[in-house]
Amino acid sequence: MDIVQIILIGIVATLLYIILKDIEPAFAYLLLLITSIFILVVVIQQIHIIIQMIQSLGNKAQINSVFIETILKIIGIAYITELGSNVMKDANLTSIAAKVELAGKIFILLLAVPIITTVVETIIQFIPTSSWQMP
Amino acid sequence: MKIIGALIFIMMTTWIGYDWSLQLQKRTKQLRSLIYSLQLMEAEMGYTYAPLQKVFSSVHEKTTEPVSYFYKYLQQALTESVSDFSEVWEHALEKLLKQSALKQEEAAILSQFGKNLGNHTFLQQEKHIHLTMHHLKEILNNATDEQHKYERMAKSLGVLAGIFIVLLLY
Amino acid sequence: MMMDATILFQIAGIGIITALIHTVLKQVGKEDIAQFVSLVGFIIVLVIVIHHLNDLFQQIKSIFLLQGM
Repeated sequence: MDIVQIILIGIVATLLYIILKDIEPAFAYLLLLITSIFILVVVIQQIHIIIQMIQSLGNKAQINSVFIETILKIIGIAYITELGSNVMKDANLTSIAAKVELAGKIFILLLAVPIITTVVETIIQFIPTSSWQMP
Repeated sequence: MKIIGALIFIMMTTWIGYDWSLQLQKRTKQLRSLIYSLQLMEAEMGYTYAPLQKVFSSVHEKTTEPVSYFYKYLQQALTESVSDFSEVWEHALEKLLKQSALKQEEAAILSQFGKNLGNHTFLQQEKHIHLTMHHLKEILNNATDEQHKYERMAKSLGVLAGIFIVLLLY
Repeated sequence: MMMDATILFQIAGIGIITALIHTVLKQVGKEDIAQFVSLVGFIIVLVIVIHHLNDLFQQIKSIFLLQGM
């Protein structure tokens, strides 16, 4: 899969959309949807390689695998949320798109909770005073 | 290979559409010839007072195909002695219905006509013929309307349905 | 999963053909059937799109380790 091919597919989809938009708006919308799905599928296959590289690097550096997994999950959620909210924006449903984005942000925060707690605990360990001891 | 199959499929559905529109054309043509045959029959009866068999044979000679078969059959059936004429008429109608593009609607009118054929004086017979012709003309009007309406639709629908199914299966 | 540009043309083609059938039937006055044809075409395309959407989501889930969510 080539970047040239993706761009050409995008152009073709745009032309077909222009033809279809006036006669059957619903079909034009489905065409948009299938184009974005198509491009994302192509991209996902490339991302797979990058993620494998990140994982092997993390193993070499002996980082706790929970962190890397969490980061991957966050990236995944970001991708799906972006896709969904863009689909809704294309259909002029901005309010629902905003809610979906909000839900995505909250789920990312939820995933980040263990990392944040670890960071806070580490910082607290650096503080030397004994009167501040955590229970 | 795939493209050849697709083309053959589209050609087939196009042909089906054409056949449908042809069927519509045939119906009006045959209705016209049927009305013409009734007029002939009236004239024949009025001028020669011939028996039914002779009337049928001369009408058979002057009409075009599917309708002429109908009269030929009637004429042949009357060469033998027949006890119930309306039964023969019904039988001939059934055959006509199979051979032509005519529908049940006009067959019903014709069978009504057949029940009265040969049972009355000429004046009453003439009235019956006129009544039947009137009914048939009404049906002919409807049929021409339908033909103009559906002829082009049948053709384009055949092509479009073929392309649609090919796209679905591609 | 193999995908290429034919699916774009397929969907656009189905859309255009459905629109044409719709107009032809509407001209004749069979509006109910025209509506029905449009609906059927839309559902067919929708099924294709949903199928691919499902594939995409499965891939995202398996690659980004989102299996439990």
